[in-house]
Amino acid sequence: MPTTNPDSQRLMLRVENLSHRVSLETNTLTILKGVSLEINRGESVAIVGRSGSGKTTLLGLLAGLDTPTEGTVELDGSIISRLSEDERAKLRAHRVGFVFQSFQLLPALTALENVMLPLELAGMDAPEKRARELLERVGLGERLTHTPRQLSGGEQQRVAIARAFASDPAILFADEPTGNLDNRTGQEVSDLLMDLNKEQGTTLVMVTHDEHLAARCARQFHIEAGELTEPVAEAELAD
Amino acid sequence: MAAAKKLMSMRRDWRERDVRVVLAALIIAVATVATIALFAGQLQHTLVSSASSFLAADRQLEAENGQPVPEEWITEARERRLQTGRMVEFSTMVFGSDAFQLVSVKAVSNEYPLRGELEIQGDSEGSREQVQHGPAPGEVWINPRLLRLLDIRTGDTLEVGNRNLTVSGLLLREPDGGFSLSALAPRVMMHVDDVASTGVIQEGSRVEYVYLFAGTEAALEGYYQWLQPQLGPSHEWEGVRDGETFSRSLDRAESFLLLGGSLAVLLAAVAVAVASRQYALSQRDTVALLKTLGLGSSGIGLLYLKRLALWGVTGMVGGLLVAVPLFWLLTRLLSEALDRPVEFQLEASALTPALLTALVSLFAFAYPPIRRLKHVPAMRVLRSQPGETGREALPDMLIAIVAVFGLVWLYAGELSLVVSLLGALVLLLGALGLLGWLLVAALRKVRGGGHAWRLALVGLYRHRRASLSQIAVFAMTLMLATTLILVRTSLLDDWQAQLPDDAPNHFLINIAPDAVGDVADFWEERGQPLDQLYPMVRGRLTQLNGQPVKEVVSKDQRVGALNRELNLTWMASLPEDNNIVKGSWFEGDDKQGVSVESELASKLGLALGDELTFTIGSDKITETVTSIRTVQWDSMKPNFYMAFPPNGGLTDMPATWITSFYLPRDQKSALNEFSRRFPTVSLLEIDNIIERIQEIVRQVTQAIEAILVLILAAALVVMAAVVSATLQDRQREGALLRTLGGRQSLLVRSTMLEFALLGGFAGVLGVAAAEAAVWALQFRMFEGQFSWHWQVVLPIPVMSALVLALFGRWQLRPVLSVSPMLLLRRLE
Ligand SMILES: Nc1ncnc2c1ncn2[C@@H]1O[C@H](COP(=O)(O)OP(=O)(O)OP(=O)(O)O)[C@@H](O)[C@H]1O
Ligand SMILES: [Mg+2]
Repeated sequence: MPTTNPDSQRLMLRVENLSHRVSLETNTLTILKGVSLEINRGESVAIVGRSGSGKTTLLGLLAGLDTPTEGTVELDGSIISRLSEDERAKLRAHRVGFVFQSFQLLPALTALENVMLPLELAGMDAPEKRARELLERVGLGERLTHTPRQLSGGEQQRVAIARAFASDPAILFADEPTGNLDNRTGQEVSDLLMDLNKEQGTTLVMVTHDEHLAARCARQFHIEAGELTEPVAEAELAD
Repeated sequence: MAAAKKLMSMRRDWRERDVRVVLAALIIAVATVATIALFAGQLQHTLVSSASSFLAADRQLEAENGQPVPEEWITEARERRLQTGRMVEFSTMVFGSDAFQLVSVKAVSNEYPLRGELEIQGDSEGSREQVQHGPAPGEVWINPRLLRLLDIRTGDTLEVGNRNLTVSGLLLREPDGGFSLSALAPRVMMHVDDVASTGVIQEGSRVEYVYLFAGTEAALEGYYQWLQPQLGPSHEWEGVRDGETFSRSLDRAESFLLLGGSLAVLLAAVAVAVASRQYALSQRDTVALLKTLGLGSSGIGLLYLKRLALWGVTGMVGGLLVAVPLFWLLTRLLSEALDRPVEFQLEASALTPALLTALVSLFAFAYPPIRRLKHVPAMRVLRSQPGETGREALPDMLIAIVAVFGLVWLYAGELSLVVSLLGALVLLLGALGLLGWLLVAALRKVRGGGHAWRLALVGLYRHRRASLSQIAVFAMTLMLATTLILVRTSLLDDWQAQLPDDAPNHFLINIAPDAVGDVADFWEERGQPLDQLYPMVRGRLTQLNGQPVKEVVSKDQRVGALNRELNLTWMASLPEDNNIVKGSWFEGDDKQGVSVESELASKLGLALGDELTFTIGSDKITETVTSIRTVQWDSMKPNFYMAFPPNGGLTDMPATWITSFYLPRDQKSALNEFSRRFPTVSLLEIDNIIERIQEIVRQVTQAIEAILVLILAAALVVMAAVVSATLQDRQREGALLRTLGGRQSLLVRSTMLEFALLGGFAGVLGVAAAEAAVWALQFRMFEGQFSWHWQVVLPIPVMSALVLALFGRWQLRPVLSVSPMLLLRRLE
């Protein structure tokens, strides 16, 4: 990866003056306005805000799933808007993991195969062995050959978490990972997520409505109508 | 790459409805096109060989001047690897025990017949058998009527000139039997080597030498090129395609098969396009996820390209697996219909169009929407993105239209077909645009409510985009299927009209003017009244506007009719099946003018007012052309190139009379009595030929029906593809309506109504476009007259409305039987 910034040794994500607009039939809608932020390696961060405030949009831009109208996103040393579509895909394959609200497992594949898929796409060795280990780790060692339809929502999300950590990503993005789950299951899933994150030393960027979960992150960004209000260092407050 | 591989495995794909539809469409397309191509080839082959048997060969060379052709002509033919055979035809008196009779002798060489077979009987009680040779030297086969006429039996001898020949069989049918008016008297068939010893043929006898040729089309053509410059005016080269009765039927059957194949291609293309677009839409989430997981767009492109290739192979293999047994079945049917073995022969070249169809369908129809999957934004995993507007699909549609019409053109080789279908499709789309506009304008005002009708209309309006595209596809499908049904109907009607069961099957020729009354009475008494009687004068057309015809008309325009004597007639009124195309028919007491048959007129470049001079014996008469008329050559009635007015110049010429009539098989014995009472009248039995033609028509009809079934299957697949495309949306809506408290019966009625309206609209549009296509086709390809087909066409919109309504009802099944909650969960 080309190093463009001396801080990149320390920084996982650096966002400068990010704005995002979409043009609708009659007018343009500004979804994000002048967002700037920095996230260190190994840090865990929560993005919180009211529904419709632009959290998902921001997450998509940070993860390089979309390109911003204005501003730069530097992810793991690469400026995303300067990468080609395929370079971005490669970056995601090797360095980025995702967990989604709606799980996003491929219904045709078994749990094991779903976890193997990113490993294969990244061209890693022994994908099956690694996938097995991870599924054991999330407590689904007995359910390897089951397809998503045969799993409960919590179990599906655990498969998704196993998949997200499978390729040993440097950073993990999660959009409301507990949003579709009941409290208890949500709790279990967030425990798992935080534990794995700690074990692997991954950077975590998470959108959530769950205050408890947000509180377990080192920092929280509040977003309101597309603008970042002062970042609050939750850890500092707790001290 | 176990997981990734599995992601694009066939087994997994098969579980998706859209893939099944694509594959089914491909398989049906390949199967239909392959079957049609194979069968058309086979039919062509069979028909040509059965047509060839009318000549007992592929080609005949007739020498009407009483001289054999130079021996080197035959040697040349043999060197060109053609089979040859030879016959000598003449009329003579033969003597039985104590009676004599004028007969028409055909003396044949060992090779006769090169095509077709003879039907003979050992004696009057013996069984009929089919043989492929003539009588041995020293023997004769005779028309069974001669037994009575001459009072002899099989085994007796027959005196032909100086020879006594043994009657060893009865000749029931000869492949080239008496289709020309020169075969006048009962037939006696003998061996050609016996002719010289009979001494019948003298200098100046009327005798015709006929040479038979068979071989590959290329060899025949090459030989003809060599031969043509050497042919004299009395030589005539005849092929099966030279305006014989059935060649018209043959051409039409071929055209029909090609049309059917082309429509199959179109339908399959539509099905593949609809289903693959649907498939592409359903794959967007998967693609977005794969992108998120790090698969690049080129990787995605490759993934789907491989999958497409896999479908292609499956479609081709599957299609051929369907086509081959089907073709086998059709050949069995054919051989049953023909009552003779038909070879089951797989022509590799016949499979090319099928494979090409699969490739083009895949790459011009399935690939474009799938190719666009590359551009699905990864962001879709987080939030569903605005879908395709359909605008991106426009260039695809253009490519697709060009591709498919190119394919049809390539396949049918008929520009007019392509233009007719394209024109009709453009009309259809125009009408559809108008309908869409009307729909929006009229339905906007309808407000929802508890009434099923209103709910249905609101439904149509709400889904107007989907509804319009569904109507478009249904209408297109119906148009194509209806076109085929219409063409089939008019084709069959045409044939039936041409050859009704009581079509004349016997000709009486050479009736002396003073015997006309007695002959008519004879048949009147036996309940088989004669058709109209025509006078007939033999003459040659020698001058055109004062110039010798042979100078005016260039050699390659030369027409058979100019080489031989024409049958001229006079008549007061135009025969029912003739039509005046130019000029006018003779008025009451016109004495001047001549009416010319239209094909001959156009070949000779005749126009109204041209002067024609005819040489009749030693007389000449000159008349101006006053009308040009079409003639129904295959009507099995006397037909004439040239007709004069009654009391015109022809009336003074020595004429005999000709007529035709229908005689059922079980009354054939009346012919013996007739021959005895009117020995000078020549009798031409063409009942065998008529049966053969009817047989051909029957085969072709069967083929047509079989192909129609295939096409309709293709149409159903298209319908299924389209309906299944919106299945989920509609089920979700139904479930929601139920959740919100809609009564079941209301839901059922409004859905059925909505679909019925869809089907009805599509039906009307499709049928109208089909009529337009048929109107265009009828002129260009089938040379028929266009007429509206209300009886055929009216039920189609009704049926399509009904079928779609039932389809809609069927779709609702899960919505009605399952709790709405469960359904919504399942449809997530
Ligand atoms: N492509 C788009 N077209 C139109 N509007 C969009 C588009 N993408 C986002 N928006 C709008 O931008 C705003 C922010 O959307 P976003 O999904 O980021 O919100 P969010 O904070 O994730 O909300 P939630 O908590 O409900 O998930 C919303 O009002 C949304 O409707
Ligand atoms: Mg969101």
